Amino acid sequence: MEVIIGILEEGLVYAIMALGVYITYRILDFPDLSVDGTFPLGSAIAAVLIVKGINPLLTLPIAFLAGGLSGILTGLIHVRLKVRDLLSGIIMMTALYSLNLRIAGSANLPIFSKSSIFDNPLLNRIIPDYFRPYLVLAILLIIAAIMKLILDIYLKTRSGYLLRAVGDNDTLVTSLAKDKGTVKIVGLAIANAYVALAGSIYAQMSGFFEVSTGTGTVVIGLASVIIGTNLFKRMPLRATTSVIIGSILYKACVAAAISFGMEARDLKLITSILFLLILVVSHDRKRRVKANA
Amino acid sequence: MKKIIAVILVMVFAAAIFGGCNKKDEGVVTIGIGQFAEHASLDNCREGFLAGLEEAGYKEGENLKVLVENASADTGTAAQIADNFISRKVDLICAIATPMAQSAYGAAKNTKIPVIFTAVTDPVIAELAKEDKTPTGNTTGTSDKLPVKEQLNMIRAILPEAKKIGIMYSTSEANSISAIEEYKSLAGNYGFEIVESGIATTADIPLAADNLLGKVDCISNLTDNTVVSSLPLILEKAAQRNIPVFGSEVEQVKIGCLAAEGLDYFDLGKQTGRMAAQVLKGERKASEMKYEIIEEASFYCNKAAADNLGITIPEDLVSEAKEVFNTIAE
Repeated sequence: MEVIIGILEEGLVYAIMALGVYITYRILDFPDLSVDGTFPLGSAIAAVLIVKGINPLLTLPIAFLAGGLSGILTGLIHVRLKVRDLLSGIIMMTALYSLNLRIAGSANLPIFSKSSIFDNPLLNRIIPDYFRPYLVLAILLIIAAIMKLILDIYLKTRSGYLLRAVGDNDTLVTSLAKDKGTVKIVGLAIANAYVALAGSIYAQMSGFFEVSTGTGTVVIGLASVIIGTNLFKRMPLRATTSVIIGSILYKACVAAAISFGMEARDLKLITSILFLLILVVSHDRKRRVKANA
Repeated sequence: MKKIIAVILVMVFAAAIFGGCNKKDEGVVTIGIGQFAEHASLDNCREGFLAGLEEAGYKEGENLKVLVENASADTGTAAQIADNFISRKVDLICAIATPMAQSAYGAAKNTKIPVIFTAVTDPVIAELAKEDKTPTGNTTGTSDKLPVKEQLNMIRAILPEAKKIGIMYSTSEANSISAIEEYKSLAGNYGFEIVESGIATTADIPLAADNLLGKVDCISNLTDNTVVSSLPLILEKAAQRNIPVFGSEVEQVKIGCLAAEGLDYFDLGKQTGRMAAQVLKGERKASEMKYEIIEEASFYCNKAAADNLGITIPEDLVSEAKEVFNTIAE
């Protein structure tokens, strides 16, 4: 039982991040590597604000905005300075490493003893003891559901339609007399806002900020998106729902690898093999190859 | 082909759900050792930990089952290792080095599983303990605080003329940053000035080393995981310029550092193992035990390194050395 709860918890936190990656990778067709920096950016902001005594719930919108800002910068580098998409992400990711250290003030900032969205006096008063083991999961479920719904609604707005159009057919956007660069920046802003939000939740769940937590975030995000959207391609599920399930399945795979006695040091290798398998199964690579040709 | 792979994937998913449900053997205690990174000091810590447990009557393979996982210096992996130990319901988690200890502590917070940490430089800053050394949760252990005072004193004795000590550290390791602060605050008392050089990854070391070696009279090491892993490279560059490098523990002296006032990590691990045994036997609760530190530093030196540099280590120091190496180990 603990195993399943653990997988669901981890999966849901990363699902919020994966929703962001879904926007950039699937909708905008933009491989945004800055995610490796924005995830710990959210963690750093949450940890610092909580140490300063700010209400933990407030750290979520603040991290969300900061992530958005970082996305805007990635977008500006790409659109205005005309740097290639992959490179703009790498530039932001590298810059954010130092920035995160600056924000947190140290490489490791614990918040075990402070209140968090999972553990605060108010919650402790109203939540009965028997529900405690499921509390984190329940809170995550609520946040993930809200964030998914917001994204669903947004994608149906005018701005959301334009976003999808840029990824599919950007001449259409130009013919509508819209600047596709601006649309891309908006997409990157929303995506990174989601990622930073996930980071801020993750810091509160694990109880500390550590500068290296971001490493590999983009891989988890991409794997979740690809697992989700491909596995449930033919099912009547919204893409956002598939991404959330994909993230949980991905975490389940990793947990399975560990419980089969795989050594932790092989984990990244397993991750990449799994990633490759899913790509092979889902045909995804062909689309990529054509798109790059 | 694709279908086969798809079937395999589904099986893996299914296994993930049912995996981890391990049966427990009667009379056998299961512990999980999570080690943050792989290098000699931490390895010694782990060996010492098992030796300490064995001394107290827990022998691996008889009444003790040990799961060892290494996070390869990745915090995400550390969290996963901790979660895995929790879901396998181990009787105790031994966490080696700060990020591992924090991950284990966070993961075990809502369970009854005690966490015994070791090689945590500052448990108070890491929020694993309060100012008075009492635990913040069901966790206790040992700290490997560097004997900075002794180290500075020793450098002064060996190099009476030296003025500037260079220290390289990685900006991502909290342990190192607090050690640097201590070096800076004490250096003045011994007439030294500290020149620090922060690096982000192993790849930065060659340039940083060249730059630092041009500015200092000697180098002193911390227990920084990234820097220690690249020590042979630093030693080689320092040897070219005839600049002595001081280590922070025995393994570093073995591979060519001139000398060190350091902790014996095996002893540190052993002390931790004894604490873990008390918890396992139910004699004491981790939540009621203060964390412990090894007070005494021991002197180590390497005569071959001294000969290469043309330095004579004062006889009174050598006579008190815990171990003197006559060769440089590869």
